[in-house]
Amino acid sequence: MKVEHSSHISREIRVAWAITVKDMRTYYTQPPSIMFGIIFPFALFLSFSIGRNLPLATQIPVLISQTLFFASSSIGPVVIPIERADQTFDRFLTSPVSLLAILMGKTLGGIIYGAGISVIPVLVGIVFFGSQIVNFGALIACFALSSLAFSALGIMFASIPGQTVGQVMMPLNFVRIPLLFISGVFTPVSELPFWMQVVSMLSPLTHTVELARYSSGGETFFGPFVNIAVLTFYAAIFLFLGIRFHIMNQRKE
Amino acid sequence: MKRIKLIIHEPAINKIVGNELNLSLDGKMQMENAIEVSGLTKKYGDLLAVDHISFQVKKGEIFGFLGPNGAGKTTTIRMLTGSSIPTEGTATIMGYDIQRKSVAAKEQMGIVPDVSNVYKDLTAWDNLVFTGKLYDMPKSFRESRAEELLKMFGLYERRKEKVKGFSRGMKRRICIAMALMNRSSILFLDEPTSGLDVQSVLIIRDLIRKLNQQGLTIFLTTHNIEEASQMCDRVAIINHGKIATIDTPEKLKRTVESLQSVEIAFEAPPQNALRELRKLPKVTEVTKVGDKFRLFTYDPSSVLTSTWDYAQSNNLKLITVNTLGPSLEDVFVRLTGIKPATEEEEQGRTG
Repeated sequence: MKVEHSSHISREIRVAWAITVKDMRTYYTQPPSIMFGIIFPFALFLSFSIGRNLPLATQIPVLISQTLFFASSSIGPVVIPIERADQTFDRFLTSPVSLLAILMGKTLGGIIYGAGISVIPVLVGIVFFGSQIVNFGALIACFALSSLAFSALGIMFASIPGQTVGQVMMPLNFVRIPLLFISGVFTPVSELPFWMQVVSMLSPLTHTVELARYSSGGETFFGPFVNIAVLTFYAAIFLFLGIRFHIMNQRKE
Repeated sequence: MKRIKLIIHEPAINKIVGNELNLSLDGKMQMENAIEVSGLTKKYGDLLAVDHISFQVKKGEIFGFLGPNGAGKTTTIRMLTGSSIPTEGTATIMGYDIQRKSVAAKEQMGIVPDVSNVYKDLTAWDNLVFTGKLYDMPKSFRESRAEELLKMFGLYERRKEKVKGFSRGMKRRICIAMALMNRSSILFLDEPTSGLDVQSVLIIRDLIRKLNQQGLTIFLTTHNIEEASQMCDRVAIINHGKIATIDTPEKLKRTVESLQSVEIAFEAPPQNALRELRKLPKVTEVTKVGDKFRLFTYDPSSVLTSTWDYAQSNNLKLITVNTLGPSLEDVFVRLTGIKPATEEEEQGRTG
C-alpha cells in the first residue's frame, strides 16, 4: 500500500513536470508572456526610477522584486486562458492525473519563468552597479517563496473562466498595480505612516522587497523571519484557493 | 474459457458494479458494460441541461448518441470524461466511478472532442509524446506507440512539422491518434467527422470500424444521422436533456412504420406540386427533397397507383419512383419534434 502511495506521488510529479516543460516550450516566448512578464516590470521600474536621483545599486532590489512579482504571476493568466480557448486545458482534465498535479505543473512554470528572469537584474546589479549579495540564504528564500506565492496568485486568477488573456490579466492588474503602492517599493516601509505600515504588512510584495533589500545588505522593517512566514502563508493560501476555484469551475462548466 | 452470467437485482450492488457480471471459472469478474450511467444530471443555474439520464454501453459496441443542438450531448460527454462535475448522478467507466476513482476511470478512455484540441505550436511527434507523458507511459513505449500511430495515420513523414500548418483533416487525425496513445478500452468521439472533406470522413469512419473490430468500445456523438445508422450497434436519442429512446437503428426504424414513403421525381415538376400531391388519396404528408418529392403514407402501393394516375392525367413524365422505409432521421425527427420546412416556408425560400 505504501509502495502504491509513493508510486502515485511520483507519477503525479512526473506528469506535473511534463506539463511544466510543455508550458515552457510553448508559452514562454508568447507575446503576452514577454509583455506582462518582462517589459511591464522593467518599464514600471524605469518610469519610477529615472529622475529620482537615487543610486541605481540601491534600486536593484526593487527591480528584482517587481520582476519576481510580475513575471511569476503572468504565466498562469497567459497559459490557462489560451488553453481554454483551444480546449487543450480539457486534455489535462480528462487525463489520468489529479487537478492538484495539473495546477502544480502550471505553478512550476510560473516559478521557473519568474525566478529565471529575475536572475537578470541580480547579475546586472552585481556586474554593472556594484551591488553585493551579503545574505544568499535570504536571496534564495526571496526567490523561492516569492515566485511560488506569485505564480500561485496567477493560477488563482486564471480560474476566472475567460478565454482571452485580457479577461484574466485585467482583474489581476487591478490587484497587482495597487499593491506596488503599499508594498514599500517606492518608499521604504520604515518611512510610511503607521496605518500604511499595517496595510503594507498584509501585502506579499512588501516581504519580497524586504527580503531582496535584506539580501543585499539593506534593512528589513518586519524582520526576515516575518517576511518568510508571510510569504509562506500567502503561497499556501493562493495554492489552496486556486485549487478550490478551479474545482468550482468544473462544477459550473 | 467458460463464463457464468449473473443477473443481480440488488440496487446497492448495482450502483457499484452494474447489473450484469460474468464470472469466469478462474474466479475473475468480467463486466458486461463498459459505461454505466445512472441519474446523471447537470444544472447551470436554473437551466437543466441534462436531466437524470441513465443508460449502459456494452463492451465492444459502437454506441451512438444523437440529439439536436443544445440537447445535452456534449455536456453528457464532458461529465462522462471527467472534465465537468455532474450536479447529480453517477457514471462508471469500466467499473470505475468517474468521480470517486477518476484516475483509474480516465486511464480506460481516449477522447476526441468536437474541436481538434491539439497543441498547435508543438510538432505532430511532440503532441503524441506529450500525451504519452500525461498517461505516464514509459519513454520507449510512448515513442514506439507515437511512431506506430503516426505511420497508421499517414503522418509519419510530417512528424517534425508544427501542427498549426496542418489541414483540418490532418489535425483531426492527430487528435484521434492522441486519443489512442494509451491503448484505451473506450474511445469517446464527439462529432468526429463534422466539417471534414469526404476523404477524411471516409478515412475516419473506416478507422472507427477497425478499432471497434479490435475490441474498442466506441461512444460516438454525431449530428450525422446516416453515419450513426451505418456505424452504430445502438443509438440513444437525447432531447431537452432527456433520453428519448435507446435501441438498435433497425428496431427504432420499425417503431415508426407510419413513415413509409414513395419518392418520385418528375422530368418537369408541375406548379404547386406540394399542394397537388398532398391531395392524393392516403398521402399523409409531402416533403421536397432536392429535386424529388417524398409522399408519406401507411399504404405505399395505393399511393404508387394514384401517383401514376396523377402523372398520366396531367401529362407529366415520372423519371424516378422509389418506395422507402422509415430512416433513422425520420425517427429522430419524430422523437425530437424537429419539423421539416412547411409548404409555405418552402415557397417563401424559393420565392
